[in-house]
Amino acid sequence: MANALGGAKETLGEELLYDRSARTRWRLGFDKWIGRLLPLLFIVAILPILDLVYYVASNALPTLTWTILTSTNPYAPDALGVPIISTAEMMTAATLVAVVLGLFGGVATAEFLSDRTAAIVRTSANMLVGTPSVVLGYMGYFLFCVRFGWGLTFIAGAFTLAFFMTPYIFRIADLAFTSIPRHIREAALGSGARPYQYVVRVGAPIAFPQILNGVFLAMAIGVGETAPIVLTTTASKVLPTGAFSPVSFLTATIWENFSQPSGSPEIALAFQAALLVVIVVVGLNVIVRIISARYQRRLEGLFQ
Amino acid sequence: MLRQLGPFIVASVPIIILLLIVLVLIFATGFANLGSSFWGSDWNPPKAWGIAVFVVGSFVTAIPALFLAMAIGLGLAIASTVYLPRWATRILDPFVDLLAGIPSVVYGIWGYLLVAPYFGKVLNPWVYAHFSFIPGFGGRAPISDGLGLPISIFLLTLMALPITTLLIRDSLRSLPRELWESGLGMGATRWEATRRIAIPYGSRGILSAGFLGFGRAFGETVAVAMVLNVMAAYPVNFYSATGTMASQMFLNLDAAFGSSSWLAALSYMALVLLAISLAVNLIGRRLVARVVSYEVAGL
Amino acid sequence: MSGTLPDAGGPVISVQHLSVKARARAILDDINLDFGRSSLTAVIGPSGCGKTTFVRTLNRMAELTPGLTVEGSVLYLGQNIYDTQVNPVMVRRRIGMVFQRPTVFPTSVFENAAFGLRLIHEDEDTIDKRVTEGLQQAGLWEEVKDDLDRAALSLSGGQQQRLCIARALSVQPKVILLDEPCSALDPAATQRVEATMEFLKQNYVLILVTHNVGQAARVSDRIAVLSSGRLIEVGATADVLERPQQAFTEQFITGRFT
Repeated sequence: MANALGGAKETLGEELLYDRSARTRWRLGFDKWIGRLLPLLFIVAILPILDLVYYVASNALPTLTWTILTSTNPYAPDALGVPIISTAEMMTAATLVAVVLGLFGGVATAEFLSDRTAAIVRTSANMLVGTPSVVLGYMGYFLFCVRFGWGLTFIAGAFTLAFFMTPYIFRIADLAFTSIPRHIREAALGSGARPYQYVVRVGAPIAFPQILNGVFLAMAIGVGETAPIVLTTTASKVLPTGAFSPVSFLTATIWENFSQPSGSPEIALAFQAALLVVIVVVGLNVIVRIISARYQRRLEGLFQ
Repeated sequence: MLRQLGPFIVASVPIIILLLIVLVLIFATGFANLGSSFWGSDWNPPKAWGIAVFVVGSFVTAIPALFLAMAIGLGLAIASTVYLPRWATRILDPFVDLLAGIPSVVYGIWGYLLVAPYFGKVLNPWVYAHFSFIPGFGGRAPISDGLGLPISIFLLTLMALPITTLLIRDSLRSLPRELWESGLGMGATRWEATRRIAIPYGSRGILSAGFLGFGRAFGETVAVAMVLNVMAAYPVNFYSATGTMASQMFLNLDAAFGSSSWLAALSYMALVLLAISLAVNLIGRRLVARVVSYEVAGL
Repeated sequence: MSGTLPDAGGPVISVQHLSVKARARAILDDINLDFGRSSLTAVIGPSGCGKTTFVRTLNRMAELTPGLTVEGSVLYLGQNIYDTQVNPVMVRRRIGMVFQRPTVFPTSVFENAAFGLRLIHEDEDTIDKRVTEGLQQAGLWEEVKDDLDRAALSLSGGQQQRLCIARALSVQPKVILLDEPCSALDPAATQRVEATMEFLKQNYVLILVTHNVGQAARVSDRIAVLSSGRLIEVGATADVLERPQQAFTEQFITGRFT
């Protein structure tokens, strides 16, 4: 090796600190340069993000008006009011279902199950997170739309979305309760509290910020989903009037319009929908970060 | 055990949903017998149901994306744990996490309208002109719309990158400080201590990053459906189109409406996709103990 | 025997006006101390006196702790290790270090002992020879020679610590810094490590940080007492322990101060 590099080998027992052998120069130089070059890889991550956001914004903003955002006119090609309001309604319904399913499940896993049973449940939650969204969309389609006969409607989409979001809330609720310091749990139970009293009176206030975080996180992930929505709902130009009416969704709007000719109002609509989704997702992520930094400090305080 | 029954029923929500997915898909197949063509290469409804093209297509798109995401992820993780000062990683790392937050349909519209034309007009012709001697890079000339494997792999790389980076970063950070210092104390450079101590020490986590990153790329649906130019054919070379299971399932459900064998074929495909995804995820998660930062990031 | 020092005079390490600050707070204040050949110097003092920081300045490990600034000079065979021309990697190769807790790497016993040699791409024969020598000198050879490929983490704590010593020895340094090497070991393992140190001090410059006066008495030739970052007293072990010149030293060695 040393000869291949064309230099003398470092000698052992060498007393000089000013080693100038080729091998040493190579080792030190390699370390120095890799330390300078590797950080450049961040360009790979940062450039696409900036480019994507800039591209979407620059195509969405020039034609964006307040009317587009609020108009629910089914005959206008450039009205975003229906998808916006529909998305808000779908998200509300899906989040409510997912919170009920995920929150209680997660708390029960953290507080009442034996370690072995909890491990099985946690593994299945992780499996669910790893399930491709299109598979979940198929489940929703075959179960809700076909088997239950709901058709491509609000309720079918909302339930599919809820199932998609549930494991995220579940995991965070579980995590929030398992990361409460042991001594607090023991102090509560030791002073005569029943387990459910501990959960409600002691655990819940401590875990609340992180659970809220989990809900926001699940919403950020849910609002960006496309496949389960497109498979279980049908594009509607009007607002849903009930659980069994057709519905629209922002990501579905992007999906339906992305291949329209450039310059058309439809493609502008796709970009505007994309911008809104990105803003919501990034906004929720920022909120999550802020809460989680504060929560971490609070949790550390509990350990002292 | 009986005292646990009530909580267990509440806690088993993920198990129930998982079972529901499997059972619904199994019943959706109607237990139809699609004949010997199912594992073949010819997908030609309603005559032939060969899903092999899509299985192969899923691997052909996901594996190169995985390698790129692992290589870049390893580089980013080393840069931020070993070389960059704290203040710099505080600014830079969130960008990688943000990549995970961008919805795939937004990647898709950006890829389809902006990046794909660039691939079609500049990158693919350039690669074709200079590297056509490499097997798989020659043959049929690339099409100018740029849709196909390269852009799909590019988007899948970006989507798998946050997962691989985050897990590799966690694995490298799990190295005890004393071990790192004793490596340097032996006269190792930072690079040598990383390569010979930190990476072997975190090897399980790094391997797990590979499995989970692969799972992400393998199941990706909408972005691939937008930029791959999905078709039921094996790729003939680097620039051509093909189909993945997820994208084909997504695009084909409408067409299958009313044909029970067609729906059955898609449901079987869904089961295959689910089985591979779950297996990959199970292995990936088994390799490491609970990764809290992962759950907090929603990965 | 390998590692034997040449007869040229002068100290191997000469610490001159060494001060260390953590932001504004002084951790070490104007330390002057020489370390001669073939000796074992114990640096003792109460916890928080700066003795660990002191040895960490001797091979430039201190700079891995953010916020520390080192002033003054440390001469290794007359060369200042803090010279801008000197890379810390070269310093650490020649001034080895053993830590409080055993820090074996997650590989085999052999690869652990060969770690430093692999870095400088020694040939296989030399590596075999040096690994054997290192393990022999560290007093571990008899226990591991039959299975050098076993996982290093499967060794007992005392064996792991002697493996760390063997690993430091394999690159043939002249100086080995031992930062409370027995603090995580049981009495039997401590005894083995102390025997190893007694053997090694015939050929190496050993600098041992310990809070255990008994250990200093058993193995060292010379004792340096630190208090609040200042060098209080230094002298032959017997002199310091039997006729301490400073009231602080007397308090510390009689256990009235910990």
